[in-house]
Amino acid sequence: MTAVSAAPAEASAHHRSLRPRGLLWAMLHLHRAALLFWLLLIAVAGGALLWAYGPGADGAWAEYRMMRCAYSGPNRTCDYTGLSYDVYSRAVSLGSLTVTLVPFLAALWAGAALIGRELESGTAELAWTQSVTPTRWLLAKLTAPAVLLVLGTSLLVLLHRLVWTSNDELRRWMNWDWYVDSAFRANGVVGIAYALLGLAAGALAALLTRRSLPALGIGGGCLAVIVYGLTVLRPHLWPVVTVTRENESPPATGMPVAEGALTSAGARVPPPVCGSRDTCLAERDIVAYYRDFHPSSHFWPLQLVETGIVLALAAVVTGVSFWLLRRRTGAAV
Amino acid sequence: MTDTAIEAAGLGRQFGRRGKWALFDCTFQLPAGSVCAIAGPNGAGKSTLLALVAGLLVPTEGEVTVFGTNPGAARERLAFVAQDKPLYPQLTIAETLRLGHELNPGRWNAAVAEPIVAGGGLDPHARIRNLSGGQRTRVALALALGKRPELLLLDEPMADLDPLARHQLMGVLMADAAENGTTVVMSSHVVAELEDACDHLLLMGGGRVRLAGPLDDLLAAHVLVTGRAGDLGPHTVVESRTTGRQLTALIRPNGPLDAEWQTSEPTLEELVIAHLRSPAAPELTLTGETGTDADTDTDSDSDSDDTHTDETDADAEEAAK
Repeated sequence: MTAVSAAPAEASAHHRSLRPRGLLWAMLHLHRAALLFWLLLIAVAGGALLWAYGPGADGAWAEYRMMRCAYSGPNRTCDYTGLSYDVYSRAVSLGSLTVTLVPFLAALWAGAALIGRELESGTAELAWTQSVTPTRWLLAKLTAPAVLLVLGTSLLVLLHRLVWTSNDELRRWMNWDWYVDSAFRANGVVGIAYALLGLAAGALAALLTRRSLPALGIGGGCLAVIVYGLTVLRPHLWPVVTVTRENESPPATGMPVAEGALTSAGARVPPPVCGSRDTCLAERDIVAYYRDFHPSSHFWPLQLVETGIVLALAAVVTGVSFWLLRRRTGAAV
Repeated sequence: MTDTAIEAAGLGRQFGRRGKWALFDCTFQLPAGSVCAIAGPNGAGKSTLLALVAGLLVPTEGEVTVFGTNPGAARERLAFVAQDKPLYPQLTIAETLRLGHELNPGRWNAAVAEPIVAGGGLDPHARIRNLSGGQRTRVALALALGKRPELLLLDEPMADLDPLARHQLMGVLMADAAENGTTVVMSSHVVAELEDACDHLLLMGGGRVRLAGPLDDLLAAHVLVTGRAGDLGPHTVVESRTTGRQLTALIRPNGPLDAEWQTSEPTLEELVIAHLRSPAAPELTLTGETGTDADTDTDSDSDSDDTHTDETDADAEEAAK
């Protein structure tokens, strides 16, 4: 056949050059718009964080010193915030908000554009009747965006940590707590894991529904449920530290989990509403107060446990996607 | 190269666990190098059969092999153009052909694909989303032929082409197939467009194979008779119509015909339409290689829609002997 005789020369030329080939070429050309959007998003959010790290922090710091907040004593001006404070705070929030939203963008895009539209319009079958098996097709469809998601999100997380750790005093003035949801996501690996889960969830939703619009809704919806569930569970993913005090509630430090009163038998009861009556506590047999919390040293254990759960979920969802595709199209690897 | 391009044995596909059987008990053989037309009304199972052969669907029952292996393993050797000609709307024509090159490493031949696109006067830098239906068909065919397939599966390929483009593309297709010995399978419900191009016929109806075999043999196995209404005796009557005293019938003769009948060989269209009008007519599968005609009636009770008359059943049994 003519095709076979032409093959060796063509094939070797094909492998020599360093330009993207095969499915990678296809991915880059089919999803150019998404790639540009992703680069733009990383540039904007990353740029905001970089600005915050440099001029933003300098401006806020100058404002802080000008308001003489560093000096002790009553100084009401520190209760108000200035323009630099606002802009600085917003720039950092843009970074952490982006990390929080990326998993949802990934789920919606994967469900609707990456997989759903191809199954709906039949272009997936066009690809599968080239010399590409459905399994390799899905592998390329998931790997290329996964790599870009991990790289982009990691960059944002690193920049966010850079800003976060640069000036402790400024951070205290800003009331930034490490356990606040968006900061927790943007300061560690958990944000990266969620991005991968979003991608996997959108892909599975698309393979199940085979249509882009339902996949968009189902993928995004399921991800929202998982994200909400794990956010609620987060304080319970690592053993808490408990402190007790006899006369008053212990002061709050770190991620609050639970607080209340202790009876002489050691039972935990809700904090009493007593006013100033001395007999009130005795009547209720309350001997002390307790508080469960996570100190900041629990940041990494909490991060790693949650990341492990999210990555395991992403692996299961991806596995189901491949299984479903193979069952439907007849297995050939 | 194997002698058989496609072999289906008891092939069936049901959509959903309790859904409709789009195709059932489908058995046929197609020798390599043949050009086969799949004809049949809408919903006959043509697209399902093509998707099964292309390895895009898994059979619910039975088996289909392409060049002796399962369709998934023959992926590199076959090309498929689906009914709605799916292409990536965001790519240009040139990028679409480049996609064929990238996804078929070592097989792609741009010298085949590009002239097909150029033949329609299409600008290679035009985006697919801006093309008309017929122009998309042209690009889809270019993509399929550029792969140098050994088996080309086309689902309603010419449906949205104007007569001129249809003629030109059919010419390109047939010349290419003849030159490379490509096996071509194309479905259509416009029977006339298939007659000149095809040497094999697969007529489908209600999810079953109604007629299968070399076109000439199938035509030769049928006779169109006209005459005064009378007994057609031992012959298998596919369809008969009476106008006044005049009877016109398409029959499969068993033995010599009475001289009082006026006979003629049916055209493809007459053959197809007669079978479509009478779903109860027995199936006929001819295999060109052996030279023996096997007249089978395998569907007796499988299709409740059919209204079998005793006469046709008896005819079929006789014919099978």
